[in-house]
Amino acid sequence: MHFLQLDALHFAYPHRGEVVRDVCMQLAPGEIRCLIGRSGCGKTTVLKLAAGLLTPQHGQVSLKGQAVQQPVPDMGFVFQSPTLLNWLSVLDNVLLPLSLHGAINPEQRAYGEQLLAQMGLSNLCGDKPHRLSGGQQSRVAIARALVTRPSVLFMDEPFAALDAITRDELQRDFLDLCQTQGTAVLFVTHDMAEAVYLADHVSLMHAGGIQTSLAIDLPRPRQTAMRYTPAFNSLCEKLRLAMDAAA
Amino acid sequence: MMKRDTFLATLLGLSCLVAWEGYVRLAHTSPLVLPAPSVIGQSLWQGLHNGYLWPHIVHTLTEVVLGLCLGAFLGFVGGILLGESARWRGVLMPFVVISQVVPKLALAPLFIVWFGFGTLPTVVMTALICFFPLLENTVTCMQHINANQLELFRMLRASRWQTLWRLKIPAGLAHIMAGFRVAVVLAWVGAVVGEFIGASRGLGALIIAAQGSMDTPLMFAVLTLITVLGLTFYKLCDMLEQHWLNSSSDTSTRTTS
Repeated sequence: MHFLQLDALHFAYPHRGEVVRDVCMQLAPGEIRCLIGRSGCGKTTVLKLAAGLLTPQHGQVSLKGQAVQQPVPDMGFVFQSPTLLNWLSVLDNVLLPLSLHGAINPEQRAYGEQLLAQMGLSNLCGDKPHRLSGGQQSRVAIARALVTRPSVLFMDEPFAALDAITRDELQRDFLDLCQTQGTAVLFVTHDMAEAVYLADHVSLMHAGGIQTSLAIDLPRPRQTAMRYTPAFNSLCEKLRLAMDAAA
Repeated sequence: MMKRDTFLATLLGLSCLVAWEGYVRLAHTSPLVLPAPSVIGQSLWQGLHNGYLWPHIVHTLTEVVLGLCLGAFLGFVGGILLGESARWRGVLMPFVVISQVVPKLALAPLFIVWFGFGTLPTVVMTALICFFPLLENTVTCMQHINANQLELFRMLRASRWQTLWRLKIPAGLAHIMAGFRVAVVLAWVGAVVGEFIGASRGLGALIIAAQGSMDTPLMFAVLTLITVLGLTFYKLCDMLEQHWLNSSSDTSTRTTS
């Protein structure tokens, strides 16, 4: 039995054709799997099905052997845009998943502050989100998703709108945090270099189905310098060829 | 920048008053038609000083506050109900629109028949006028919440009640308060028009009485009072909005020891 398992998922939106066809996937504890593909191939829908935000017409999602019908406490989700609440401070945004289910205790508050410190935002705890840059807002969204210590995290192209340098820094810090907590991640992206840098496995989607999967055998922890090695470039090339073949 | 704008607005207002005063003096206009600002100021000062205006001010203020509170409460609660339920919206919205397209002035005689002379018909009229902007803005903002934020609250397993109080109302607060600001302005229209028709006290009744006695400076003095009071209410509303927007953060995640 796998930690997170997607079994033969099918899904169609009303008035649109089937956007997810027979998707099967497994995640081991602590594994990072990237889902890559062209726009409109169904990546985000698969992510929402896995998180319980959508219900498949056929097939089943299970987490630790339990069928997932709706979001469960053991999950975190980071959206494409940071989706912060502008009327709350940065720290209150991070603590939102906890404050919705009870009053915040000092340990929880300290943990929220610690996550923000790990994200390099300790001096911005009391600020409102609209004062932050795009990269800082993404960091707050990641801290918010991790504050409940989820065992699995779903990420929907969270770094797509950032500049290259900020994206590289965020990828590095995000990997550190996930590996410290042992969090499994299903990460949607259309950036091949991002997928190779982050993932243990990359699944390539095309027309609603999983076309192929590629194991990324780069050593961990990943270093920025790895991005310029022949092994890294060779994996990016393999992915590119697989995408071209799928098209 | 704001200070400069305020200065320019004040300068423009004062220039208009000076031009008005100059025109009246040079053209020797009859005070029955257009009294000079200095004459209006004198009438206003006398009315305030000898206590003649105060009971009318208190009466109208009471009607405005009661009508505004009643109308705003019904508009806000109705807006939430209609915003949350498409079924209720479909069934009730046509009736709400009907209640608003009927001219309020035409309803005033009916209100006098139903509620008698005095405060009650004016309060009902004011509430009816204030109700709609709050309802319309609340319904609109309930339906235009960011889809990702709604999905976030679903992901965080928030109840419907939590989604309403922790997301929809704070996210729509600026729109709701915009509706409230319109309601605050309209409340004065409702109260004064209500007093025109069926009251013996209040600033609206006083305008009618001043018209009957050809006391045009008093009419302008009462209009000035209504304007100043209306502006004060509008400003208070602005301050309330700023206070709520700033304090919503502090109350949401209080720590327990």
